Amino acid sequence: MTQITLRLRLPSAVSAAIGLLAVMAAVGALFPAVGHSIGKLNVPKSVDNLLGGADYGTVTGWFRSEIAIIYGPLVIGALAITGASAATAGEEEDRILALVLAYPIRRSRLVIAKAAAIAAVVLIVAFAIWIGLIIGVALAGGGITIAHITALAVQLAFFGLATGALAIALAAGTGRRSLATGLAAGVAILGWLVNSFAPLISALTWLKYLSLFYYYAGHDPLTRGIDIPSLIVLGLVTMALMAIAIVSIERRDLRG
Amino acid sequence: MSTPAIATSGLSKDFGSGHGLFGLDLEVRQGEVFGFLGPNGAGKSTTLRLLLDLIKPTAGSARVLGLDTANESLAIRRRVGFLPGDLAMYPRLTGQVVLDFLAQLRGGVDQRVRDSLVERFGADLNRPIRQLSTGNRQKLGLVQAFMHEPELFILDEPIAGLDPLVQQSFHALLAEVSAQGRTVLLSSHTLSEVERVTHRLAILREGRLVVVDSLENLRKVAVQRLEIEFAAAVDTREFRVLPGVVDVAATGATVTVSFEGSADAVVKAAASHEVRALRPREDELEDIFLRYYRKDAT
Repeated sequence: MTQITLRLRLPSAVSAAIGLLAVMAAVGALFPAVGHSIGKLNVPKSVDNLLGGADYGTVTGWFRSEIAIIYGPLVIGALAITGASAATAGEEEDRILALVLAYPIRRSRLVIAKAAAIAAVVLIVAFAIWIGLIIGVALAGGGITIAHITALAVQLAFFGLATGALAIALAAGTGRRSLATGLAAGVAILGWLVNSFAPLISALTWLKYLSLFYYYAGHDPLTRGIDIPSLIVLGLVTMALMAIAIVSIERRDLRG
Repeated sequence: MSTPAIATSGLSKDFGSGHGLFGLDLEVRQGEVFGFLGPNGAGKSTTLRLLLDLIKPTAGSARVLGLDTANESLAIRRRVGFLPGDLAMYPRLTGQVVLDFLAQLRGGVDQRVRDSLVERFGADLNRPIRQLSTGNRQKLGLVQAFMHEPELFILDEPIAGLDPLVQQSFHALLAEVSAQGRTVLLSSHTLSEVERVTHRLAILREGRLVVVDSLENLRKVAVQRLEIEFAAAVDTREFRVLPGVVDVAATGATVTVSFEGSADAVVKAAASHEVRALRPREDELEDIFLRYYRKDAT
């Protein structure tokens, strides 16, 4: 089951991985030419937060704003969400699961197998980001250690897993592809906005703890390395969402 | 007495607004080919999906091969071959890959059996599913339902899209598995699809079981139609008053008489005139079907 899902999802994952490698190499190559001239942007704090500090004058700031805050999570989140929704609710809406689940396979096993395939996609993309960052940083003239690049890729992989698990939980609970995709994407984007804006209002600062994005980037892996507590939270959220997915799909009627 | 292959008790699935299945009590014996008939929306597919635990009943229960569908579904699915109505498979993958995958889900199947089914139906395994016609997809559906040699086949509209030769092949296969003592539950919305192979029939209408009987018994109570071509026009009133006659229609010198039970009175009345031709209407079996639909509608 994992194998066949992976076979179906692999072309988009590989295309995304190649695209990411190319983009990151280009971003790195661009830094010596334009990075220093842009420098640190003088923008409102809210925009500054949205852009991960908006410091284009350093290699770390450049990659944080260009890759870590927007492009990386966007690609990994999009692949995880669309892949998870298509592999579960999508196959249900397309009536493929009406055949597959008439075979001797538990729904829980099906969901876990689908999740394993999506996890593999996330890891492939995270690996491509890791390689891409190493190349990009080298082309930019260096300035970020391999350990910190690894930290970003690991945090991003955990973010992708949690986001994918959210989509699987929604898809398994509802059997509706577009609803699962839309809601999971909405939660992910809201998380990014909350992580950026909540700290600006002291009364709402606590809201950032509800954002998956905070546990990915809140501790700035490119400068501070891996944050184990954040990974534990993302791991626990992933497992809790998978448990919800399994319980909800076991109990309901198959659609279609 | 052996355990029935399928036994349902008050099995219900209420989708609201009068749709669904209501209080189905049905028993399918082991080794029989059982036709499950009804118009679209009668509750046939709902029943089949309930038997495989794809959907949960709102009331009642069902046992398949002696096992409870709610608690022992996995064991049931190991022993059942299922062909869903509106079959769908991975469109981008070839038949070969899909069959390999499905065989793997069963923990492997006898390759010789699978190959012989592929050959028998002339299934195309090399093209992606999306490039196959409905009939060619259906052939793959039949191969996957039969390839693990299950004890029970649950087939939802199995001959949809199949050409007549493949239909023949399919009917021959049904006769073989039936002779081996295996059970077939076959749903269809037209009687002609199943009349050649079924031992008994159930007719479902608006989610409720209307009748269960052998085809032979159903025929006995069927409305039959006889087309009689006379040498000259006759007065149709003499047919209308005959016992069992429900309708008489005339076009020129040709009279079509619809009647229940024996044809004796109609034939004898016709014999008092010069009869050029006598033709039983081909759709007589569909009339059985229609009669039960109408019966409850009144």
